[in-house]
Amino acid sequence: MENLSLLMEGFANALTLQNLLFALIGVLLGTAVGVLPGIGPAMTVALLLPLTYALDVTGSLIMFAGIYYGGMYGGSTTSILLNTPGESSSVVTALEGNKMAKAGRGAQALATAAIGSFVAGTIATAALVFVAPFIVSIAISLGAPSYFAMMVFAFIAVSTVLGTSRIRGLSSLMIGLAIGLVGMDATTGQPRLTFGQPLLAGGIDVVVIAVALFAIGEALWIAAHLRHGKPVTIPVGVPWMGKEDWRRSWKPWLRGTAIGFPFGAIPAGGAEIPTFLSYVVEKKLSKHPEEFGKGAIEGVAGPEAANNASAAGTLVPLLTLGLPTTATAAVMIAAFNQYGIHPGPLLFKTEPVLVWTLIASLFVGNTLLLLLNLPLAPFWAKLLRIPRPYLYAGILFFATLGAYAAGLQALNIVILLLIGSLGYVARRYGFPVLPIIVGAILGPQMERQLRRALQISNGDPGALVSEPVAVVMYTVIVLFLVLPPLVRWARRRAGIVPSGAAGPGAGGLGVGAASTDASSTDASSTDAASTDAASTDASYTDAASTDASSTDAASTDASSTDAAPEDADQSDTFVR
Amino acid sequence: MTGVTTPSTLMRGRSELGVAALLGALAAVVAVDAANIRHTAVSTGVMGPQVVPFLIAAGLALCAIALTVNVLRGGHGHPEEGEDIDLTTGAHWPTLLGLGALILAAAFTMEPLGFVITSAILFYGSTLLLGSRHYVWGLLIGIALAVATFYGFVLGLGIPLPAGLLTGIL
Repeated sequence: MENLSLLMEGFANALTLQNLLFALIGVLLGTAVGVLPGIGPAMTVALLLPLTYALDVTGSLIMFAGIYYGGMYGGSTTSILLNTPGESSSVVTALEGNKMAKAGRGAQALATAAIGSFVAGTIATAALVFVAPFIVSIAISLGAPSYFAMMVFAFIAVSTVLGTSRIRGLSSLMIGLAIGLVGMDATTGQPRLTFGQPLLAGGIDVVVIAVALFAIGEALWIAAHLRHGKPVTIPVGVPWMGKEDWRRSWKPWLRGTAIGFPFGAIPAGGAEIPTFLSYVVEKKLSKHPEEFGKGAIEGVAGPEAANNASAAGTLVPLLTLGLPTTATAAVMIAAFNQYGIHPGPLLFKTEPVLVWTLIASLFVGNTLLLLLNLPLAPFWAKLLRIPRPYLYAGILFFATLGAYAAGLQALNIVILLLIGSLGYVARRYGFPVLPIIVGAILGPQMERQLRRALQISNGDPGALVSEPVAVVMYTVIVLFLVLPPLVRWARRRAGIVPSGAAGPGAGGLGVGAASTDASSTDASSTDAASTDAASTDASYTDAASTDASSTDAASTDASSTDAAPEDADQSDTFVR
Repeated sequence: MTGVTTPSTLMRGRSELGVAALLGALAAVVAVDAANIRHTAVSTGVMGPQVVPFLIAAGLALCAIALTVNVLRGGHGHPEEGEDIDLTTGAHWPTLLGLGALILAAAFTMEPLGFVITSAILFYGSTLLLGSRHYVWGLLIGIALAVATFYGFVLGLGIPLPAGLLTGIL
């Protein structure tokens, strides 16, 4: 009950006129920027970060909560009306949502996405209220070895579970860790990788890294391959839903929430898997399975709810353990660090007012979002028609501004360009970007925990496995890394040729590289299946079947794979 | 997957070796830097400031090797897709290099010329490089955007962006 009184106090803070105004501005800006094509929630948050510099901590976090939810809502609008998923987590929304829009049911698709996001966000934030203090009570007793193990776990999870290639994920992680090294060593004060440049002594600002990777990298990548000609957008009226739509939507909302929140809350994060799972579940349970692939409202309601619930779930490891597991969470940590606030179990003890005001403002932001965005949707849809040269020139403009304003250092712009080029290369060669930023943020913390653990044990490495949580984490990591290759090896010995070897690039417009990749050295991960669902049915099937055998530690894999093969025959209707 | 090598996949596979080389180079830089960290009384504790950099350098080197092997065996990552992205043509290098040059120029002109001039040029130049043919509109939007942002930051947020050449005018 103590939580509830703290939460009420948080509401009292969040509902002052000034703070409501901040929330309002945040929601509007977040939606406006998030709705722009090619800008995902992470980029929205990174680009708008400078706006919060001048505010006090509470005000800026409140505005931030608005930007966060606004950015996500904007992203789903884009996926539905333009079929441009800003982030891999809204790929699934685009599947049915864009079909609905094309069939003249855009208003209903937007409505079920908006109301579903509201329902899921509210329930999941309420779950956060109860789960977070519980995790804090456990986390507070954990020592350095457990923290170290959890960070290693988060690293392995973001670099090998998501994406299709383990080698590329781990390479990204290592690059991120190297970027994190730059600056003075926290323990001894000795400069590392500063190349004699005193401005680098404080390390590279995480905001600069985030803006570089998500804004500059993306803008350069798109600029190099810009599709010329007018983009096709679908005009839309004010979102509304009929009785039948409500009847078909409310269960998927709740199921999506139930699927999304736990996935966000475990520090292996990512909204890709839960949105995909939700899609598969809705398709199985639907009374109108034949509508899937042609614009089934359940296929928007469920995944959108799962997306938002998992975004709220992400805040559990972020606030209680200081572990960011999605790109947006990584940028949020950067925002916290601006104020010298380091999320973790102690945060709830040292800054209870701040934490609970933030949580309360999540509720507020969510409600504002619903109230504002239903009537404003036709206006947001107009933003989709912004000419691309202005759009991407604007991204470069604001990214440069953001990097410069993050310390008023011109050197930041040079670093911005360097890391932005890295972001370009990553996109060119299919290296995931998330491990880079997570590595850069968590690397220094991981080193601190490692050194602390060894300091206490006087150098005995056995200390690293001296706590049960650490042992569990390492066991899971080993299963993650060893099982899939082992199973593949066993299957090869048994003479079963992985179906991925059948043909590279089969399938229509998709790249089809997932199938090439799957057969070479690193396959598996449900994600290959989820992100490619839209593009190639061939890679979809084989990624799924490879996985069927791997039975990763994540037990939910099983449920996704048993449904996937039957999905595959439908997926060829998802031609873009 | 080693069997299928059309010229285009061969090229793609080869260019990714450059990424492996980048990883290797980064490993060398990190390792050399770590080796040059001076030993002091403080750093002789259980674990000095060199240990983690050496581990990361080793990790980078291992990734470089693994990636090389992967690429030589025919593996390759797939480029990111998007609605505004047309992957049927190769990268348009003049645009890319031009944008890079504009950003780099912004770093050097931000303080002497000031935010407004630098950012307006950055915006206008970018629209032209990205294929806009609205020569006057692009310039006007760039100037308006830069001036509005300048005042918004300086007056609204209290963040002192440099006025540069226009000091006294703005």
